[in-house]
Amino acid sequence: MMNASLQGWGLWLALAGACVGTYVCRAIGVMLSGRINQDSEIFRLLSAITYAMVATLTVRLILFPIGLMATVPAWIRILICVLSIGVMLSKPTKRLVPALLTGTLLMVGYGIIR
Amino acid sequence: MSSANQPYIDPSEIALEEPAAERFKSRSDAFWSGIRDATGAPAMVLFAGMVGFGAMGRTNGVDGWFTVLSSLLMFALPGQVVLMEMVITGSSVIAIALAVTLTSTRFVTMTVTLFPQLHEKDRNRNLYATVHLLAMTAWAVSMKEFSSIEVKHRLSYFVGLGLLCWLISVPGTILGYILAGFVPAAVTLGLVFINPLFFLLTFTEVKPWINRIAICLGCILGPFFTIWDRDSSLLTTGIVAGVIAYVIDRKWIRKKAGLIG
Repeated sequence: MMNASLQGWGLWLALAGACVGTYVCRAIGVMLSGRINQDSEIFRLLSAITYAMVATLTVRLILFPIGLMATVPAWIRILICVLSIGVMLSKPTKRLVPALLTGTLLMVGYGIIR
Repeated sequence: MSSANQPYIDPSEIALEEPAAERFKSRSDAFWSGIRDATGAPAMVLFAGMVGFGAMGRTNGVDGWFTVLSSLLMFALPGQVVLMEMVITGSSVIAIALAVTLTSTRFVTMTVTLFPQLHEKDRNRNLYATVHLLAMTAWAVSMKEFSSIEVKHRLSYFVGLGLLCWLISVPGTILGYILAGFVPAAVTLGLVFINPLFFLLTFTEVKPWINRIAICLGCILGPFFTIWDRDSSLLTTGIVAGVIAYVIDRKWIRKKAGLIG
């Protein structure tokens, strides 16, 4: 799993593919704007797939991290996530910034005392 | 300006509102107001995300140009993190392009909901350039503010707002990349943790059940697919979990009144 990162042409091809794919989605939006209903079935499906993918990405970054984050024990990573979500849910409105700060500072704090 | 509490990924969650009266004297007035609004809390969160993204690139030994160019040319943080993570773990180019494109399909929904609110005269080919400035932050703020901006000044406001969000992303990424090189490891840890934490926190604000189910299934199935085959796991989990959530929603949830808005 480690040291397998893309090098050379592969790296730049991946970037090109990602940029083109992202722009094409934006352009399709311009093309369709005013002609399609945002509540249509295809949007519901795509939105569910996007959420599932970003959820998988998030779990992977937290449970199976690579590089520096892998040196932090899993229970510390999970504990910090739980505490941040606690801050986020402590008041139903506008707690994103305090919750984000809590998690980030706790991680920095762990890094200092370890 | 309180879009920090807007859901991050699904633009269909906010309803369109009725247009209102005169707010700006001229197009340039609207443009500069957009610039000013881009210095608020949502843009600061975006900036922090970009700093975290830059730090992620540096600590994993990814090329600096690659890291910064992705912020400049993609300007879509979830897609960029997908790209970065898959590049680091050595996924195939095809799998990377597909996965990133799928995360970007939300831009179709965003554009479809935002651009019809612009003035008829502004809805021309130039929008194919302007649309690059569209990302979650500018979209969420615009959706909220457009209702109180007269139609002819909306494009100028959006361009001011989107332009600054785009322009702060590049220095944010560079800053993260440089900082991660010489600050103590403890600070770098914090920077690298910003993005996963940010995505995780925004999940708590997701309202539609279909998307909540998709998130839960993604979290549960994700580790299994990752252990099974890391290269394709984002795509496979996303599609399997997304389709299951869609089917559950279609077969059972929509029929129960009160569960959907």
